[in-house]
Amino acid sequence: MSMETKKEQGVFVISPIGRLDTNTSPDAERLIVEAIDSGEKNVVMDYTSTEYISSAGLRVVLKTAKLLKPKGGVIVVCNGNEQITEVFEISGFSGMVASFNSLEEAVSSLN
Amino acid sequence: MVDKIQKILVVDDERLNINVLVELLKPSYKMMAAINGQQAIKAANSNSPPDLILLDIMMPEMDGYEVCKQLKNDPKTKDIPIIFVTAMGQEESEAKGLDLGAADYLTKPISPAIVEARVKTQLALKQRHEELKSAYKIIEEQKKRMQNELDVGREIQLAMVPSIFPASHMYNIYASLEPAREVGGDFYDVFNIDEEHVCFCVGDVSGKGVPAALFMAMAKTLIKSRASNDPSTASIVTHVNDELSQDNEGCLFVTLFVCILNTLTGKVLTTNAGHNPPILRRANGVIELLKRLDGPVVAAIEGFAYKEGFVQLNKGDSLLIFTDGVTEADTAHGEFYGDPRLVSLFENTENRSPKQMVEQILSDVHEFEGQGRQADDITVMVLDYLGEMQSEQDKTISFQVTNALNEIEKVVDLFDEFATNNKVNQKVKSTISMALDDLLTNVVSYGYNDEQQHKIGVRISVVESSIVVVITDDGMPFNPFQMENPNTKASIEERDMGGLGIHLVKKMFDHVAYHRNIEKNVVTLVKQFTAK
Repeated sequence: MSMETKKEQGVFVISPIGRLDTNTSPDAERLIVEAIDSGEKNVVMDYTSTEYISSAGLRVVLKTAKLLKPKGGVIVVCNGNEQITEVFEISGFSGMVASFNSLEEAVSSLN
Repeated sequence: MVDKIQKILVVDDERLNINVLVELLKPSYKMMAAINGQQAIKAANSNSPPDLILLDIMMPEMDGYEVCKQLKNDPKTKDIPIIFVTAMGQEESEAKGLDLGAADYLTKPISPAIVEARVKTQLALKQRHEELKSAYKIIEEQKKRMQNELDVGREIQLAMVPSIFPASHMYNIYASLEPAREVGGDFYDVFNIDEEHVCFCVGDVSGKGVPAALFMAMAKTLIKSRASNDPSTASIVTHVNDELSQDNEGCLFVTLFVCILNTLTGKVLTTNAGHNPPILRRANGVIELLKRLDGPVVAAIEGFAYKEGFVQLNKGDSLLIFTDGVTEADTAHGEFYGDPRLVSLFENTENRSPKQMVEQILSDVHEFEGQGRQADDITVMVLDYLGEMQSEQDKTISFQVTNALNEIEKVVDLFDEFATNNKVNQKVKSTISMALDDLLTNVVSYGYNDEQQHKIGVRISVVESSIVVVITDDGMPFNPFQMENPNTKASIEERDMGGLGIHLVKKMFDHVAYHRNIEKNVVTLVKQFTAK
């Protein structure tokens, strides 16, 4: 499991590769917190290569949203597979965090 | 009541008339007097009201009719008997007085013997009336108390029977109990003894209310605790019988059918203690009544050694256990539901789950009985045996991990390989991986209050088109599925993560179940999948 991070049109993008669960979420969280500390205002989480998320993966999204809110920033997600989409719907996160079908749409929603 | 001197109020505007009556009745009663209507009403409403009123009709300002009317209209005074005493004596006035609620009517000039007799009669009547009233009150209170007791009994009863059933790819079981309004004492139980054995029983306690409910609770607890380390139904029932026979002052008893199923081989040990015969439906539709009896009702004969029999279940066989509330259900015309009707319903139903079968039987019984009847508790339990010996090894994986978060990775790795071998589609695979991560994280993080190393068992099987996951841990007793659902509508600020993982598992699986095995939490998840 690894995390890829990059800048896409000036927006911070993090892509978890493989599982986003209890054992891998702390990595994602650490990378996001570092990015926010260094001044990132928005975050895109790209699930293109993510196999599944558990509630630990949702926790990262919620924590990021809570950190960004006072700064006027948001987290958006994209390219979730069927399981990830279902998890967002059942947990109610789909009403809290915008979700897109491509990275381009996700990034342009923030610019 | 008998010794109290009774009080009589004489109402007349003529002092002379008052004196005549007071002198006449003074030796036997306490006398009071009023010289007009207002005084009479005031006296009747006082803290020491009269037991009887002798009332003149012709009085200035307020006449006797009006006084009578007012007293009879007031709940506080309406029960004081009133006798009109007047010179008028016409039938018409008499009828008017009686219409207004007067008890009797005397005409002047009065005859002392008649006055004494009428007064005595009215006072005696009043006393009987009061006695009846207090007796009625006692009956009402008693009735209410009995109803309360029955309600408490029913609550104990319903709290004691499980509503979540163990599940396995080898069998499927369901039971339901419908308490009757008054009679009752049915119970059932289903619990795992170990990985391979499940115990289930149905019983019917004689009697009703709290004593029957407590007796039932004792029977059920004794069976469960004994079954944890006793593999013989005969020995279990013998032990339960000995315990319940002691100090059985209420002379209650219980009919019992106790079974232990070996889920891998389909062999069922059975002990029938005075219970009505269960019905077995073979996969090919053939019906067998399990008429074997292994001893008398439990709690009747201390020291009795019960026997046991066994039944071999094969794939597709179904066992129906019930209480006589089913077959003895009757219509308003006195017809019984009866075994034949039950057998034909059970015989002719295919492709249904135990739950559907149980519900179908209950609704058929209710339909038969008609509205608002049900004289006795009705309990129905259905067990379907699904299994045959697992021949393909790769359809099940079973392993143990220790209680550390990094062990979860190993579990998900093993499952990944298993899912690939069994062509499980990506969505189901991801969903199960998520559940393994969330449930095991909970167990590792919150399940133990010591620093010891513990083993957590994971068993994953493919059964036809479902995946069954069973997680077993020896942590503190905890049913994750009883947790309250999180608020999924909360905003970012209000939102917390509590209970979210469990909520996802509950919603994304076709069936979830929890039971406390001996010293162990067992969580079962079932998810349907379509092979790739």
